[in-house]
Amino acid sequence: MYDLIIIGGGPGGVAAGIYGARKKIKTLLITDSFGGQSMTSADIENWIGTKSISGFELAKALEEHLRTQEDIEIIDDDLVMVVVKNTTNFLVKTKNNKSFETKYLLLASGSRRKKLGIPGEKELDGKGVAYCATCDAPVFRNKTVAVAGGGNAGLEAVIDLFPYASKIYLLEYTAELKGDLLTQEKIRNNPKVEIITMAETTEILGGEFVTGLIYKDRRSGELKELKLDGVFVEIGAIPNSDFVKDLVELNKLGEIVVDPKTQKTSCPGIWAVGDVTDVLYKQNNISAGDAVKAVLNIDEHLNKK
Amino acid sequence: MPNVKLYTAPACVYCKMTKDFLEKNKIGYAEYNVAEDEKALDEMIKKSRQMGVPVIDIDGEIFIGFDRMGLMRALNIGQ
Repeated sequence: MYDLIIIGGGPGGVAAGIYGARKKIKTLLITDSFGGQSMTSADIENWIGTKSISGFELAKALEEHLRTQEDIEIIDDDLVMVVVKNTTNFLVKTKNNKSFETKYLLLASGSRRKKLGIPGEKELDGKGVAYCATCDAPVFRNKTVAVAGGGNAGLEAVIDLFPYASKIYLLEYTAELKGDLLTQEKIRNNPKVEIITMAETTEILGGEFVTGLIYKDRRSGELKELKLDGVFVEIGAIPNSDFVKDLVELNKLGEIVVDPKTQKTSCPGIWAVGDVTDVLYKQNNISAGDAVKAVLNIDEHLNKK
Repeated sequence: MPNVKLYTAPACVYCKMTKDFLEKNKIGYAEYNVAEDEKALDEMIKKSRQMGVPVIDIDGEIFIGFDRMGLMRALNIGQ
């Protein structure tokens, strides 16, 4: 029986773990990996106190800081599948068929990449359909590729592809690109890039590898085909809140609704922080700060009793 | 010693994790940077029939991505 179980190993989960341990709260942290979503970033320049760090190094630093705490238990190779509430406590069940009981819960499970959910995407995953431009851009040397999504992640994928791809289509669902204006300008000035707005990607074509893509021109309703070798999907994220969807209030995006002062959810005994919540800005520094806030609040609750 | 070939790209975190894993377990390997070595890139795509890095070739058995459990089995590494 624990006082606190923290779910997640990103900046939020790790910050909570460190504060929980230092407050001598009997804590267990469960994650399948450290570092959170920015683990695949080549370079992070806004992690406060560090001029520049790769996502990989940040993940290592977070894990190391957490492991120097004496008073914490860590499971780093499991995934929480469901949380059940019994009369006074919570039961956490994992993928490896383990279960743990706790008085309080802190959810820092982050979010995962959204997929297009169209024919061909799953079948051609890895065979031209890619989700990490930082990783896989060099594989598309002299190839024609499309990036689906005109937000910041999509724009950055285009930049990652600049040195390698010979032609890059950038497909955006709405009438205008979103994301950083400076990055937009860089992209507009590169002759390799063709921006297509009001484009709804409807199918990815291919046999052994990707050969093309079909999109609907939302102005005319016409279906159009692009011949290409790769599709990078960068259309945002969905919160990892499924395992508590029957316990806490979610908004229509699936984000856990929290009280911004304390990080409490609608279910007494459960707190949530970071990208899994309805926090306005999804940022590493904010997740860490919100986690500290949550643990201090949890500590107050534990000491009341 | 097994013959281990590792196909990587410079900014790929799963490639770094794979390298860390091999080094920690004192497994020697030959690394091919597909961002610069076009021949290695073609070889990697042919071998793995896919277009993501890293790819690890252990005596002809192909692993895609950082597959810790698969590598442990193929390299006889205990937990």
